[in-house]
Amino acid sequence: MKDILKSFLGVFIGLGVGLLVVVAVGENPLVVLKAMTGALVSSPYDIGMTLFYTTPLIFTGLAVAIPLRAGLFNIGAEGQLMVGAMAAAVLPQVVSSPFLAVFGAILISGIWGGLIGWLKARRGAHEVIVSILMNFIAVGITSTLANGMFKDPDSQLGETAPVAEVFHSVPFSFFAGAPTGVYTVFALFLPYLLYGVMKRSVWGYQLRAVGLNETAATLYGIERGRVWILAMMAAGAVAGFVGCMEVFGNAHKFRMGFSPEWGFSGIAVALLARGKFSAIVPSALLFGMISKGSLALELETEKMTREYAMVLQGIIILSVTLTHAYKKRAK
Amino acid sequence: MSHPIVEFREVSKSFGTFFANKNLSFAIDPGTIHGLIGENGAGKSTAMKGLFGVHSIDGGQIFIRGKAVVPQGPKHMMGLGVGMVHQHFMLAGSETALDNVIVGEEHVGLFQKIRRGKVLAELQALSAQSGIPFQAWNTRVQDLSVGDQQRLEILKLLYRGSDVFILDEPTAVLTPQEINDLFATLKRLKSAGKTVVLITHKLKEITEVTDAVTVLRRGEVVTTLRTSETNASALAKTMVGRAVSFTYSGPRTDVAPDAKVCVEVKNLRVDDPFDRVKSASFFVKSGEILGFAGVAGNGQSQTFKYLSNPSAFRGRSSGDYKTLEGAALKDQTHADPEQLRHSKIGIAPEDRHHEALVLDFNMNENFFLGQQSDARYQKYGMIQKSSVREAVVRAIHEFDIRPKAPEHPLKKMSGGNQQKLVMARTLDPAPEILYIAQPTRGVDVGSIERIHAEIMKLRNEGKAIILLSSELEELMDLCDRIAVFFDGTLMDTVHRPDFDLWTLGQRLGGSQ
Ligand SMILES: Nc1ncnc2c1ncn2[C@@H]1O[C@H](COP(=O)(O)OP(=O)(O)OP(=O)(O)O)[C@@H](O)[C@H]1O
Ligand SMILES: [Mg+2]
Repeated sequence: MKDILKSFLGVFIGLGVGLLVVVAVGENPLVVLKAMTGALVSSPYDIGMTLFYTTPLIFTGLAVAIPLRAGLFNIGAEGQLMVGAMAAAVLPQVVSSPFLAVFGAILISGIWGGLIGWLKARRGAHEVIVSILMNFIAVGITSTLANGMFKDPDSQLGETAPVAEVFHSVPFSFFAGAPTGVYTVFALFLPYLLYGVMKRSVWGYQLRAVGLNETAATLYGIERGRVWILAMMAAGAVAGFVGCMEVFGNAHKFRMGFSPEWGFSGIAVALLARGKFSAIVPSALLFGMISKGSLALELETEKMTREYAMVLQGIIILSVTLTHAYKKRAK
Repeated sequence: MSHPIVEFREVSKSFGTFFANKNLSFAIDPGTIHGLIGENGAGKSTAMKGLFGVHSIDGGQIFIRGKAVVPQGPKHMMGLGVGMVHQHFMLAGSETALDNVIVGEEHVGLFQKIRRGKVLAELQALSAQSGIPFQAWNTRVQDLSVGDQQRLEILKLLYRGSDVFILDEPTAVLTPQEINDLFATLKRLKSAGKTVVLITHKLKEITEVTDAVTVLRRGEVVTTLRTSETNASALAKTMVGRAVSFTYSGPRTDVAPDAKVCVEVKNLRVDDPFDRVKSASFFVKSGEILGFAGVAGNGQSQTFKYLSNPSAFRGRSSGDYKTLEGAALKDQTHADPEQLRHSKIGIAPEDRHHEALVLDFNMNENFFLGQQSDARYQKYGMIQKSSVREAVVRAIHEFDIRPKAPEHPLKKMSGGNQQKLVMARTLDPAPEILYIAQPTRGVDVGSIERIHAEIMKLRNEGKAIILLSSELEELMDLCDRIAVFFDGTLMDTVHRPDFDLWTLGQRLGGSQ
């Protein structure tokens, strides 16, 4: 409870400081504030777009938060979601049911993530280094495929041929054209589902035990290597949903560079949520709103660009970290 | 008569609705060693943390040298000459001894490098002058023995100008020799006019070194006595509220002549830079307790660790390790914890905080540790919360664990109560073979009696038990045979009729 209050305080301080930055560059903070918030909810379409920006952040936030429980830092969500997207774009050529296509895609991105855990467990490689390298490999492989073997012959760009219509996930009409559909609904529930899994399942228990006290966990029969692999697989699978959402719900094909670094924003989302699953949705929503809102800045102001979103996110994380670091004497 | 140096007047402290300290009133005279005793959870650590300013007190007043003081925090209290060594050390393990003294010094900052030499010289002088030996200033703390860590803590407080030294269960993790050294240190502090507050569960230590003793029970002061006017059994009775026997007096069935060998180890060798096992061969029969005795670093702990998880020693151990399963001896040379569990071996490891418990988990979650594949507590991969909770409630009653709340986080429980939970878990499900290390470390006398009775009951039921303890008296009280470790070698096993404190002590020191 107190933690939540601290986080809110941190967010507000961060927003305040962020607006001071606006003043420093000579813009009117009120104009900026109005532009950013106005763009969020002025129409069903805007609401839909805000949610559309939030959804991948929930997935990638979780992809960071899950391994964090086991004491692993997953920097590899970006690569995992790309592998998931490529798999989602290609699988419809092999399977006929949309369900199988989604399942196959997250399975493949899960294995991709699990590889990081496997390298750590069996080879002692550090997961941060491995996941950074795996990101490069993922970019390499997916762009090679998108420009070669699976390239859409009718397109000038590095992208795959569109998937058949049966695979499309139709956006809700309420959002008047924003590509927001079942994936968003699923994303909104997933953190709470996983929270229960963590609390109630043996798997989740083992993950937490390894994260909190590796020595004791090992001595009491929990294989940390297995836990690492499974935690990273789960992370990869969750990140893979971003790819599915992009391919089945939005672009209907794999496009090179489709992700504006959602995998890395996921780190920020997880940090802001302090690794707590229950805080992933609000945290992702905040960052989703900032990303969406900052798009309006380029139209409404002279000097501000959408990169302001990054600045603001950074400031907020910093101030939330600081409010939590500030400890009152235990009473 | 002079002012008391520290006085508590009606001091209270509660956590939520629970009073850990209730109207404590007692005084500590300067230049004395003052004992503070009480059952696990009686509120000893809480009271001293209040004095040291680790947490604020809710009511009452604390006087230092006759002046009312509201402790604002450790820094504030250090400024007033009050220093504390916590129950669980708070040194930074990866830093050197010297840096641990320097860190926290406010006026060092940028000039650390330059000051280091000067600080080191001052510390060396202080060590010589106070007669508290310490040399390993450039060793990382995690590589120091506990005895050295403790001396370091004390020197650190001396260096910062403490007059009052609060030591919270300093002897719990020390070897007998180290305890003697510590007491020599305390007496030197005393003769230098310093005041010591000593928390301990070993009443012999109270009668040996203290001048006065305050007894707490369930958060309240029962009495403060001159040590010369009381004795160990009287103190125990005041503390627990009933007479306590210090030695086991219950039944001890004879080991059956045809008792089966349950654990058999031959020519065990374990490589390790710090604690090597060169050669250990032994066996344990059903219905007997084999004690592991040795001065720290002589191989008994390492042997115990190997027995508890051979799979972790792959490639650096050799020898045979078999345990009885069904009617035949089964090879366990490379077994992992899960396999040992299947062979009905229950294990209570030595280091409570690092090996046995997850402090951020509550009692239920800690009880579940090791039971992940037990059908009673888990179905289809889901934890059966209610069955776990029921088992914990049973354990709470059986072992008198306080507080009686299964959802209580371990971190907030007193050390002795944490240990009781470890014991309860080790006995569930009922094992045939038990490896128990330091079962009564930090446990109060009343609970020791209960735990010892429990161990003896298991023995009399025919379980085979290996007991590792740094307390020779405990081993002599319970064991049928004691294995003497010296220099990585199991020298000899001594049989019960030949137990003798003095000769055993000699053997542990390496003489034949
Ligand atoms: N931070 C806390 N929050 C809630 N309860 C606490 C906290 N710290 C201590 N307690 C409770 O207060 C009581 C007194 O604890 P304390 O640590 O002072 O006992 P103790 O006398 O030092 O026992 P031991 O000999 O086992 O160390 C215990 O019941 C403990 O569970
Ligand atoms: Mg205590």
